Amino acid sequence: MISESSSREKVAPTILPDARGQASLIEAELSNSVAWLIRIRWLAAIGVILATWIVTTVFDLEVYSHVLLGIGAAILAYNSGFYWRNRLMEEAKAPASAYQQLVKWQVALDWMAMILLVHFSGGIESPVALFFIFHIIIVSIFFSPRAALASAVLASVLLAVNAGLEYAGMLPHAGVEGFLEAPLYRQGMYVAATLFFFASTSLIAAYLASSIERNLRQREQEVVQLSGQLHQTGLRLQTLNEAARTVNSTLELKEVLNRLVESTARVMGVQACSIRLLDKSGLNLEPVAIYGLSQAYLDKGPVSLASNLLAREVFSGKVVNLPDALNSPLLQYREEAQQEGIRAILSAPLLGKDGPFGVIRAYAMTPGCFDQQDEVFLVAMASQGSSAIENALAYQTIEELDQEKGRFIRMVTHELRSPVGVIRNLLSTLKAGYMGDLPGQGVDLLNRASRRLEYLQKLIDDLLDLAAGKTGVLAWGGDLETLLMERLVEQAVQRFEVTARQKDLNFRFDNSIGGQGVWIKVNREVFDMVLDNLISNAIKYTAPGGNVTVSIGVNEGVINILIEDTGIGIPAESMGQLFYEFYRAPNARALEPSGTGLGLAIVKEYVKRMNGHITVESRENQGSCFSVTLPAAPTPDIESADNQPRS
Amino acid sequence: MKKKVILLVDDDEDLRLSLRLELESGGFIVYEAGGVGEAAQVLPKITPDLIVLDVMMETPTAGFQFALELRDKDPNSTWSQYAQVPILLLTAIHRMTPFRFEPDDEYLPVEEIIEKPVDHGVLLEKVRNLIGRP
Repeated sequence: MISESSSREKVAPTILPDARGQASLIEAELSNSVAWLIRIRWLAAIGVILATWIVTTVFDLEVYSHVLLGIGAAILAYNSGFYWRNRLMEEAKAPASAYQQLVKWQVALDWMAMILLVHFSGGIESPVALFFIFHIIIVSIFFSPRAALASAVLASVLLAVNAGLEYAGMLPHAGVEGFLEAPLYRQGMYVAATLFFFASTSLIAAYLASSIERNLRQREQEVVQLSGQLHQTGLRLQTLNEAARTVNSTLELKEVLNRLVESTARVMGVQACSIRLLDKSGLNLEPVAIYGLSQAYLDKGPVSLASNLLAREVFSGKVVNLPDALNSPLLQYREEAQQEGIRAILSAPLLGKDGPFGVIRAYAMTPGCFDQQDEVFLVAMASQGSSAIENALAYQTIEELDQEKGRFIRMVTHELRSPVGVIRNLLSTLKAGYMGDLPGQGVDLLNRASRRLEYLQKLIDDLLDLAAGKTGVLAWGGDLETLLMERLVEQAVQRFEVTARQKDLNFRFDNSIGGQGVWIKVNREVFDMVLDNLISNAIKYTAPGGNVTVSIGVNEGVINILIEDTGIGIPAESMGQLFYEFYRAPNARALEPSGTGLGLAIVKEYVKRMNGHITVESRENQGSCFSVTLPAAPTPDIESADNQPRS
Repeated sequence: MKKKVILLVDDDEDLRLSLRLELESGGFIVYEAGGVGEAAQVLPKITPDLIVLDVMMETPTAGFQFALELRDKDPNSTWSQYAQVPILLLTAIHRMTPFRFEPDDEYLPVEEIIEKPVDHGVLLEKVRNLIGRP
């Protein structure tokens, strides 16, 4: 993936540092080296000036001090120039070639300064000549091994020419008076031997330095490559991790699928990705999530296992890489793929508990752009995706069954409702004495029958509410209103004030929003029912003298309504079943024998319908706290603001 | 004083009996009809002061339609002479469907709506509110 094309790079997410960093790494390295060279040169120049001063004042030797000091000053001067040039280039983010050019200029001037220094400090007699070795090493660092060897030769030739000219008397000898007892520049053997050892030292130094440098460079390349690979691997791991999180964060099938195709395409750096799932017949693959493909391509025709060779191949459990998709015999819709610009396709099966149930595909616009790493990645995504999709599908089935149950409850209770209502009417007619007075026992029997009927009526009504929640009949009733949430809660609290006072409870409304104007889009009946249910429970199950507090808060568009009490609480073993239909905790049952056990199930359904959540915390004999979170609605405009709660 | 007359239209015989007894105990004269068709036959024979009308009978909206026919603004319509008779609608529709109704001159020209099941005493009270004591 290091050799990715620029078009693939464009779609790469910017979660980790950009892969472009590979190139700038080399430039940064060069700029650092240049700065290092400049720092050393400051020292060298100061060294020249200082050495000249020491030689003349401390050792009292005669040298061409003005010339040597001049050379030192010249080095300082041109080094200042290089210093500023490097700074400017850094700011302008100059390319590597500009730095190479700058180094060449530095080396050229250094070598001129060097040969002048050698000449004016005694030529072949000068110990300064050894400093050429440093310059050869510098060349080895910045240039090729060939250039390093050439520089060794050049240093030797320069020294030899200087020695030769002085030996022949064609160049005046600039020796250091008092350094040697007798000048050596005219002693042939000395000159030849010194030149020989100088040349061989230079060549060996060049060879060693460039060998070391070559190894270093190789390592540097490896580091650059590895960091690129790490970058890609990091991205992929992150995407896999995100995909794994998707599995846990949502059970909405559509959401799971969309996140999968998008993150796959983005991380692989390809233009498109799709997921197709087997339809109910088990013969055709239907597109269920698409990223980056046109509608025209999707409408190309059915993909059936019978006629689509690629699908069949993938369904045998294989990853199929078509590096040159248009020329692959496996491709069914060649023309459409060509029009779409697709050149390479990588497909992996989605494997469920009962074998393959779909296929995930990545599409690239350049042939042969999928490598083995891509295959491994797509398989990993497919495996993560498979479990996510299976979970979501299972959840969808449960939801559908639950709705079906709701519809059934609705049908049955509807049929039960009118006879029960009529029996109640008939009984109350009897009780009212229209048929003449009844004997005392008869009245008692009638009262018992009435009580049973009241319960039956409540049960039927609750079941209808529950079914309404499950099937969404009430919530989708078309009368969703945007209402001021705090008013609604306040009114619910007011509805229970009398009851709470009669029971001698400390009943409070804690409004931490304080007129911020938080709106909510709900079916008012549904919202009231939820609150009434929770508040009446809190009052019912709290002993006189206890506290019941309703509080509201809002945080980042999420409304939180808390209904807290200091009542009988919920036994730990009942917590898990509290919202189940017909479940009643033993302590609640003991306190209040009549009750359908449907109230909280209805509340839960309704809260779910309002896109909210309900949770409960409780300790037996200490109290309970029900927390309802709901999405806040945007503040309505003035025309619809007359939707103020009816008071 | 002449007793007031109520036409009670509901397809549930038992409910009719119970409601009739309640209304009669309040001093009203009650005629019954088991549906819109029967009501159409009974109406010309009586002069009701009030019609108590169920909604779901022959069809799920039979009561609505009958109310609309009764309140037809055309002076030549079949029921023009009953156009001023108040109508009290009995319905379980609020509980059974997501639809919400309230009396409306144009679409639901009735005086009052009572939700089924009808608790004892409620009907009598509403009737008295509408047409007064007999």
